[in-house]
Amino acid sequence: MKAGRKIGTADVMKEKLLETPDKRRTDGVSQWSIAWRRFKKNKAALAGLIIVGAIIFIALFSPIIARYPLNYLASFKEENKIRVPPSSKYWFGTDYIGRDVFSQIVYGAGNVLYVGFGAAAIAMILSITIGITSGYLGGLVDNILMRVTEIFLVIPFLLILLVFLRVAMTIAPSGVGGLTTVTLMIGLFSWAPNARIIRGEVLRVKQNEYIEAAVALGASKWRIMFRHVLPNVLHVIIVLTTLQIATAILVEAGVSFLGFGDPNSVTWGQQLQMASEAVKEAWWEGIFPGLFITLLVLGFNLLGNGLRDALDPRLRE
Amino acid sequence: MPIKTNVLQSILYKIKHMAKSSMAKYVLRRLLYLIPIFFGILIIVFVSTRMAGDPVKLMTGLNPRITAEARERLTQYYGLDQPLYYQFLKFVWEMLHGNLGNSYAIRGGTAVTTLVGDYAWETFKLQLTALFFSLLIAIPIGILSARKQYSKLDVTVTTTSLIGTCIPIFYMGIVAILIFSYSLGWFPYGAAHSLDPSRYPFGSYLLDELWHLFLPATVLTFAELAPVVLLVRSSMLEVLRQDYILAARASGLSERTVIYKHALRNALIPVVTYVGLYFGGMLAGAPITEKVFNWPGVGRLYVEAISKLDFPVITGITVFVTLMVLIANLVTDIAYAYIDPRIRIE
Repeated sequence: MKAGRKIGTADVMKEKLLETPDKRRTDGVSQWSIAWRRFKKNKAALAGLIIVGAIIFIALFSPIIARYPLNYLASFKEENKIRVPPSSKYWFGTDYIGRDVFSQIVYGAGNVLYVGFGAAAIAMILSITIGITSGYLGGLVDNILMRVTEIFLVIPFLLILLVFLRVAMTIAPSGVGGLTTVTLMIGLFSWAPNARIIRGEVLRVKQNEYIEAAVALGASKWRIMFRHVLPNVLHVIIVLTTLQIATAILVEAGVSFLGFGDPNSVTWGQQLQMASEAVKEAWWEGIFPGLFITLLVLGFNLLGNGLRDALDPRLRE
Repeated sequence: MPIKTNVLQSILYKIKHMAKSSMAKYVLRRLLYLIPIFFGILIIVFVSTRMAGDPVKLMTGLNPRITAEARERLTQYYGLDQPLYYQFLKFVWEMLHGNLGNSYAIRGGTAVTTLVGDYAWETFKLQLTALFFSLLIAIPIGILSARKQYSKLDVTVTTTSLIGTCIPIFYMGIVAILIFSYSLGWFPYGAAHSLDPSRYPFGSYLLDELWHLFLPATVLTFAELAPVVLLVRSSMLEVLRQDYILAARASGLSERTVIYKHALRNALIPVVTYVGLYFGGMLAGAPITEKVFNWPGVGRLYVEAISKLDFPVITGITVFVTLMVLIANLVTDIAYAYIDPRIRIE
């Protein structure tokens, strides 16, 4: 794997001269296997990987894992009761209209991950493009992009998000793509801090000799930016993405909790919102979804921290 | 004409004179930076709220006795029939005169400045208490944890803090209310005051306030504690690796002097930034906290304003919060430059 390998000047020159990537030196281990070896040793990081993996598994096989169909008013239809406490029949009890809380959590997993991955993807595409262009080109482009970034940095994020979600609710045909709207909005408003970090990293990478060599060899700006700079800031990007997913999940939960989420998709934040109306009568309704949010966010954070320790070239032995 | 240029020149002269010291220059430059940012945010919010729907329709839609004509009059009264740019310029003009307009629906027709003033106090009371206590607790814990890196204490502290940063504040709040309000009955489960004065503990208004404040403030303190602990710890570790700490130790200073006189000052620089950013986040994040604890603050007011499409209140709170964030950023930058002289050189 070439991407992300810390290449010295000599390597670049050699590669450029030969122009055939397969004649590269292949002795030794790739950077990725070194990183994996270091990652494996980190127990916390492995725990994060397992948590995230388990929840992705739940999301993928939700119809099999869930005990009742989606939105099925289990306890209401079968016993004419709502808010039934946890039992062997309803592991996590039932909610305010008699749905099985466990099954709803299982169905929610996919939605929660969708928002997390989707919003992080949007935010990262924006922050990578802006961070690299701004950092590498510098000058006027940098100045303009950084002023825009500054606006997004100081913007009272949640307040603006709520207004935009309200707008989206008015404009978008009701229900259709509600979750996608939420995802898009979170993504569009959370790229700024990462763009700044990536820009800083690019500024550092830019001073290396191999970039100078690429310039001397007449590579175009775009080629340098995406073939030489990008692979060398990739380790930062991977870590930021993981942490961004965690943030997006928390934001979605918060927004849903305030009642600005998509009312037609089950998410853990939304379950918590409904539960918070009657914590006194039915503690199980909110405790379990909240536990899952915490667990998933913790999983991504542990994973991110583990990846940072494994990938950071400065920590290499 | 000549008079005008004279005035301009004298102002420029004064500015130049002030700007002679590098600090003043720095502050001035930051201040000028903030103006376009402020207006950028204002435009985004102003335009987007106008896209959120028609408040007049929302207010009168359920009342069949209101005629179309009356609706039109109401729209005219609010100035919503004017073109958007005109509405915006009028808003900016009024804002520069200290008037943020009157609310549409919330406490019908109250001046937004009064409204925000009333609610902001409750928000500040809660958030500043939490900030104060979280710093008070977090800084010593962070230092201790850094000094004994990889010890049992350090592992416990970092693990707990990491988990702490992953728990959503509203979940923490719900669990706290469940335990301490419903099960144990120690604290009220929401609101900032008892409605009925006869329920004041020992008949004291102040005690009642503290009684209501305790649970939300404690939860917020814990929520804020975790990131500060991790920040202080990592920054302290970074500083302790520096050469000047080695030099200080080599010259035979006591550990206490090394940590508290030499290391702490530099280790707290990121914390200053954090506190500055926190001020912004504290106001912006208020809706969630205030919803859990049913706290009558700006955040709850904002959510209510959005659901009622109360444009002046939405823009008013945004202006207020954005100004607070920008001022906090400015103060942070200045404090930063004051603590760390390297910043000013660039």
